[in-house]
Order: sequence, then C-alpha cells, then structure tokens
Amino acid sequence: MFDTELFLESVPTLADAALVTIRLTVVSGALGLLAGALSAAAQLSGVTALRILSRIYVSLMRGTPLFVQLLVVSFGLPMLGVSADPFLAAALAIGLNSGAYVTEILRAGVLAVPAGQIEAAAAVGLSPVRIWTRILLPQAFAISLPALAAELTIVLKSTPLASVVAVTEMTYSGVLIQSRAFSAIEVFVPIAVGYILIAQAILRGARHLEGRLARARA
Amino acid sequence: MDWTVLLPHIPRLMDGLLITLWVTVLGTLASVAGALLLAGAAASPFGPVRGIVRVYTEIILGLPILVLLYLIYFVAPDLGLRLDEISAGVLTLTLYYSPYMAEAIRGAVGSIPPGQIDAARMVGMPGLSIARRIVAPQVLGLVIPPLTGLMIGLAKDTAILSVISVQEFAYRTKQVVSRTYAPFEVWTFVAVVYWMLLSAFETLMRGAEGRALRFRESR
Repeated sequence: MFDTELFLESVPTLADAALVTIRLTVVSGALGLLAGALSAAAQLSGVTALRILSRIYVSLMRGTPLFVQLLVVSFGLPMLGVSADPFLAAALAIGLNSGAYVTEILRAGVLAVPAGQIEAAAAVGLSPVRIWTRILLPQAFAISLPALAAELTIVLKSTPLASVVAVTEMTYSGVLIQSRAFSAIEVFVPIAVGYILIAQAILRGARHLEGRLARARA
Repeated sequence: MDWTVLLPHIPRLMDGLLITLWVTVLGTLASVAGALLLAGAAASPFGPVRGIVRVYTEIILGLPILVLLYLIYFVAPDLGLRLDEISAGVLTLTLYYSPYMAEAIRGAVGSIPPGQIDAARMVGMPGLSIARRIVAPQVLGLVIPPLTGLMIGLAKDTAILSVISVQEFAYRTKQVVSRTYAPFEVWTFVAVVYWMLLSAFETLMRGAEGRALRFRESR
C-alpha cells in the first residue's frame, strides 16, 4: 500500500519545494511585520484619517478569505502595470493578510508599554519618530514575541494557498507528483510531517529568542 | 473595467453562497461539539487521554488546512474512508477548528475563580446547577469573542474546499471568471460580499457578547 520507491523518488523534489515554502514564509512574514508595524502606528497615532485607514485595512483583510485576496492581488497587479511574478504576488497577498493580525498583536504590545516611559522620552526631547523606533516598537516586539511566532506559523500554514496562483511550494509540488503517480499517501504524509517540523522550529526558535531577550533586559 | 459583465451570473454566484453558508453552519456545529469533547478530554484525570489531546493539538497547530483536506480527500480513501466532497470538507473544517475552539473554551473556563465553585458547593448547590447557573453564564460571555474570530476563520476557509470541487461561492466564482474573462472584477465583487457578510456577523456577535455579559452591569 505504501510505495516506498515513489516515496524515495519524491523526496528530493519535495525537499526543493520545502525551501520555496520556507522562503515564502520568511518573505511574507517580513512583509506582514512591516505592514503590521505601520498599521499599528497609524492606529495609535492621533491622526484620525490614518486611524480610519488602518481600521479599514484590518477589517478588509480579516473579513475576506486569503484565497480570494490572492486572486484579487494576482489579477490586480497587472492592471496596475506591475508584472505579477507569482511568488511576489503570493508573498504580497499573504503578507498583507498577516499584517492585519500583526496590527492587533503589536497594538496590544505597544499599549502594554508603561505610559511613563513615553512621557519621560518626550521630556528629554526625543522626537515622536524616535520614541516609536527606539522606545515603543522594540519593547512591543519583545512583549508580542510569542503571539508573533504563533502568527508566523499561521503564515506558514497559509503558504499552500499560493498554489492557486501556481507557486510550486511544498503542497503544490505534492499535488503535481500525486496527479502523475495516482498515489497520495507517499507524498502527503511526508508533506504534513514537513509542515509540522517547520512550525515546531519556528515556535522553538521564538522561545529561545524570548529567553535571550528576557536575559538581555534583566 | 466593466462591472456589468457580472449581472447575468449573480444567480449562479448566489447558489454557491448558499452552499458556503450551509458548509459553514455544519462545520461550526461539528467543531463546537468536537471542541467540547476535546476540552473535556483535556481535563480528564486520565494521563494518556490528556496526552492524546495534546499531541493532536500540536499536530493541528502545525498542519495547513489545505494539507489536511488532501489527507482526508486523497489519502483516507486508500485507508478505507471514502467521503463525498461536502463530507470531506466538513470533516476537514471540524478536525482543524476543534482544537482551536477547545483552547478558547479552556481559557474561558479557566478564568472563572475556583472559589466561586467551592462557595456554590458550600451552600449545597448540586453539580449540574453549578454548571448551569454559575459557570455557563460567565463562560458564555468570555468565550464569544475568541469563538467569533474562529467562526469567521472557518467561514473564510470554506473557500479552500473549492479545490476538491465543493460547489461553494469561490468555486462558482471560478466558473463565472472562465465565462466572463473578467477575473479582477468578479473576484473583487466576491471579496466585497464576503466582507459585508462577515462584518455583519461580527457586529451581531458583539451584540450577543454584550447581552451575555449583561449581568455585570449591575455591579
């Protein structure tokens, strides 16, 4: 029932595709962090227009399926005159989607920084931008690290959807093998194990980083 | 950009939307049932039972829902479990969302001070009354916000079932795209429909949360 030969044959292809999955996770995660940081700053800024813009962004991203967002982005980019490389389109869509959740995580993180620190920073003459980049964001990041790591595993778990815009990441690569070999168990079981291992690596890495940050602050 | 190409296809899209709603309702009910079961098992005095729940939860936390869907739709038949598309879809949603919902329930139950239960026992309340009158009303209010987020996630993930040809909203949309050759307009329209429905649902649930936590206002 388990075709060992097919399994061994598929391993190199799946391993290559796993690298695409990891790259897509890293690029999307970085984009999400950037979008989330900007959007959290917009929401906490005193400017009403920015706050509303950020709210709409978060609501749109959370209120529509990523599956649909991916297609809107990949068909929308060419209309804006941007040639849509599937990998970039997928990374952009997954990153923007994740940015909405990162907004909420960082917002909570920033609000957890004691207000006295901001007053003190303003009192010694730090500019608002400096206060953000030097005082608020680094601490918000440290406070939010566990939630951000969980979000990164969700980004990882979203990457198979990139197959709808034809990015050959791990899952799609498995589908291609399966449609040729007409056998599923030899490809999808190792793929499932692959994702679980990558997710565990992210969570463990974050826990390690958390420990180091805690020691650095102590 | 021509939005009028959409008009003749609205009925086809609405048929798909009905399937999406149906699958969402089935998936939610089954997931909540599964979550109660898992939350109960996680509190079991039996070590091995707790271990199984923990391993299962860890697996689901690392497994993409699309891969789970492929495991159930493509691999399970080899092992003797053959399901039609909708059942495979609902089973996938249930297996995937139960552990997340169980965590939400566990969190809410855990936040009730144990002293309240001791006190109720002291005044001679039977166990069932304690569950119904002390624990449930408070848990309900606390569990609504995280469950709402998860239900919205589940509703959005039904779009993934289109890859195994469940004829839901996204599947019908693909058909319409191939007939109109207007992918951007059609997908944008569909995104707006999802957004309006899910935003309305979120507002509704916020109202429900307010009602469930009514008893707090008297303090």
